[in-house]
Order: sequence, then C-alpha cells, then structure tokens
Amino acid sequence: MDEQPTLWDSAAPAPTARPAPRILRVSDLNRRVRALLDNDAMLADVWVEGEVSQPSYPPSGHCFFTLKDASSQLRAVLFREELARALIRPEHGMQVICHGRLRAYEPQGVYQLYVESVTPAGAGDLHQQYEALRQKLAAEGLFADERKRPIPRWPRRIGVVTSPVGAVWRDIGNVMRRRWPLAELVLSPTIVQGPTAAGAIVRALHRLYAQRDLDLVILARGGGSLEDLWSFNDEKVVRAVVAAPVPLIVGVGHESDVTLADFAADLRAPTPSAAAEQAVPDATQLPAILARLRDRASAALLGTLEAQRRALDGERRALAALAPDAATARQRAADLVDRGHRALMARLERDKLGLRAAHDALRALGPQATLERGYAVARLEDGSIVRDPAQVTAGQPLDVVVARGTIGTRVERTATDETEDLL
Amino acid sequence: MTTEPETLTDEQLAAMPFDELVARLQRVVQTLEAGNAGLEASIALYREGLRLHAASEERLRKAELTITELGRRGTEAGGGTGGAEGGEAPSG
Repeated sequence: MDEQPTLWDSAAPAPTARPAPRILRVSDLNRRVRALLDNDAMLADVWVEGEVSQPSYPPSGHCFFTLKDASSQLRAVLFREELARALIRPEHGMQVICHGRLRAYEPQGVYQLYVESVTPAGAGDLHQQYEALRQKLAAEGLFADERKRPIPRWPRRIGVVTSPVGAVWRDIGNVMRRRWPLAELVLSPTIVQGPTAAGAIVRALHRLYAQRDLDLVILARGGGSLEDLWSFNDEKVVRAVVAAPVPLIVGVGHESDVTLADFAADLRAPTPSAAAEQAVPDATQLPAILARLRDRASAALLGTLEAQRRALDGERRALAALAPDAATARQRAADLVDRGHRALMARLERDKLGLRAAHDALRALGPQATLERGYAVARLEDGSIVRDPAQVTAGQPLDVVVARGTIGTRVERTATDETEDLL
Repeated sequence: MTTEPETLTDEQLAAMPFDELVARLQRVVQTLEAGNAGLEASIALYREGLRLHAASEERLRKAELTITELGRRGTEAGGGTGGAEGGEAPSG
C-alpha cells in the first residue's frame, strides 16, 4: 500500500527510528472492513438464532431490530420487500431464526445482518407446524363434516374477502356477472400475504360478519408458494372461518394447495374462480325453468277446465234423460264445448313452444272467450242467469246464450226434485 | 281459503327479491295443480302466475351485478408498514 502524505510529513522532521503511522480516513477504514466481510463466503449465507429486541418499524417500511442472546447482540435489518414475504413480523422478545448475509454498513461503521427470511425458532419447520395445528383443530371438531352447512341455492348478498388488487377479485366479479348478475357482491378488502396478513384477513372477515342480510362469504387468494399462502394456515384465520354466521367458501391457491382454512370452510373450492362458480347457480338456465313453471300453470288450468267440461257432460246426460227438448240445446252446447276443447288441444299440439299459445289465449279470458270455448249461459227473460233449477218452472222460456248467439228454449221440467232420485 | 292469491301491486312485484318471485310462482303452480281452487280462483291464480313469470323474466333480463366495498382505506389499522400494497405481488 502506498504511504499517504499527512500533515505530519511536512510539519515535523521525519522521526529517525519509528516509521510514520499510517493514518486512514474513516471511510477508507470502513471500506476495508466491508471488503473483508464481503469476501467471507460463510458470512454471505448465514443462519442465526436469537431473541428479537427493540424492533422498529419506521415509515420507510423496513424493520430494524437487534438479535441477541445471553451474552451478545447483533444488529439486523429486514427490508420492506423481505418483510412483506416473511411469515412473521419480528416482535420484541420473539425467539427467531434469521437467514441472511452479514455485511458492514459503511456510513455508520457497523456490521449487521441483512435478513432474507425470518421464522419462529423452536417450532420446527412449517410442515410440522401445519400438521400440529391441523391435528389440534381437528381434535376440536372444527373440520367435522357435521359442521358443514349447505350453500344457499340463490344467494342475494355475497361477501368476498380478498385482495382488491390483482386477478382474483377481477375473476370473481367476472364469474358473477356471467352466472349470477342478480347478486350483490360485498367486498371486504384485505392483504393476503406477509406477516400482517393473518390479522388483516381476520378483521376483514369480521367486518363482513357484521353486515346484515349476508347469505354467503367467499374467502379467496391466488396461487403462491407455501409461505405466500401461510396466512391461511394461521390459527386465528381458521377460527375466524369457523365463526362465520353464514356458509363460507374458501378458494385459495391452486388445485393442490390445501390450507387449514380450506378444512374449516363449509365448502372448499380448488381455486378462487371455482369458489365463485360454486357459490351461485347459472342464471342462463333460469328462463327455461321459468318457462316450465308457466307451462305447468297453463296445463293445470286446462285440467281444471277439463274437469268442468266433464261435470257439464254429466249434467247433460242427466238432462237428456229428463228433458229431451232442453237436452237438445244442452247437447248442442256440450258439443260446442267438445269442439272448442278439441280445437284448443289441436292448437297446443301444433305449437312448438308447447303451451305458449294456450297461455296467450287464456290470458285473454273473459266471458266471451269462455263462451268461445263452448260454455253456455242460461238466462231468464229478465236477463238473470240461471244457476239453480229452482229459479225456473216448467214452460218458462229460457235463453241459452252460446258464443255466436242465443237459442230460445222452454223449460220442460225442473230438475231439482227428480234429479235427486237419479243422481 | 288460504290458497287465495293475494294480488301483488306492481310496486310490490318490483320490490320483491327474485327468489321470492320465483317461489311465489312455484306456489301458484302447485295450487293450480292441486286442482281444488275452483274455476274463478284458478283463473285468478293463473293470471297472477303470468305476472310473476313476466316480472321474473324482466328481472333476469335487466340484472346487473352490484358491487359494494366495505371501509375503503383504513384496512391496515395496526398493520404497520411492509405489505400494505403487497396483497397480490406482480404474479397475481
């Protein structure tokens, strides 16, 4: 290394025995230390366990804390991006394992651990944690089939807990627009990954639960790594899913991702879009269902008319036995009824849409339309309608009104006394 | 008779949720099919059924998804810093 000239070089005579001290600038020294650390391969990839002390979360979004054990401490920094991906948020007193790189920070002359990932210490790996929690909650019965509630057939208000940005929310909206635009979607937005996600999801769920008239809740998140989806294995989230006052569908990640929240849901959907599909029926099938109901109504009404016709037939036969003259008129009226009925049935057959024609025809039901179908009305001279044979006496003129006109008849005999014997 | 169809006003029809419209239509059809309502009551029921059917179809035709969002902003209370906007990373 070159000797750098210093003040001493010019101000004092060169000492005879001792070499001049080599005096560095602070930044030079720090740079040298940094280079030294950077060249150490072991320090570039280090795992260290310790207790978190005094973490700070300044507005920059980074997290600074001290990692310590009984006799020593180490400065550590978790940058915003790593913090967002981390499974936990370092809190004071927490025992953690940090993975990262040790480097010097020149401006402050300190060395610190640049943390890439932080996990709770002592709890074993993620799969062990997952399995332990799964067994514990299963033992409580939270995943039991008896707990599962049916999804409402035609939900009106559907709550959705997911991230308001990104494809998942958009996909759910698209599925709903296509399948069930009659619904109202209530979005309760939340973050869905990072150390604060579990708490945020729980709050978003409870915000929805406080809503009135909710029929269904969908909890959804797109695919990601095991760590990205970790919030959905959080005990608080699982319990919030269990606490849903209405049926809840979970659709998280891809087909193969099964979180503990999935187990706790009333219905587990493989993906967010599938959750939306399973939440609602397909409204495009409804017009056909409605048409079938309408046709059944038409058919039922025709059945009632048919029953009336048969009753009339019986009456006609009774009259024919009793009063041939009057019966002639009634016969004719009944024939008209038959003809009208046959014409109606023929028209129904022709109509490809089944009973649509009938229902249009029936829509216009009025006295005239009724007569057109072959019914007759018997009137006295004063215009009053005969409903009871007791209203008339033998020999009294009687007008039988049919669709195209009136038939003048005369009562041969009243039927009240004798029909009773016959019927 | 309990099956007597109470005729709904147009306003009542418009305010009725879709599933209730269809449920009423189903009840009308069932009453008609039971066949003991009498001719005039049957015709009145049938007319009511047609109105319910028309109202349901109309509702379907005009249906447009409604979306509301709870508590815009303020979802991060206590959440601090890091992942506020990180909901769905670029991959999302």
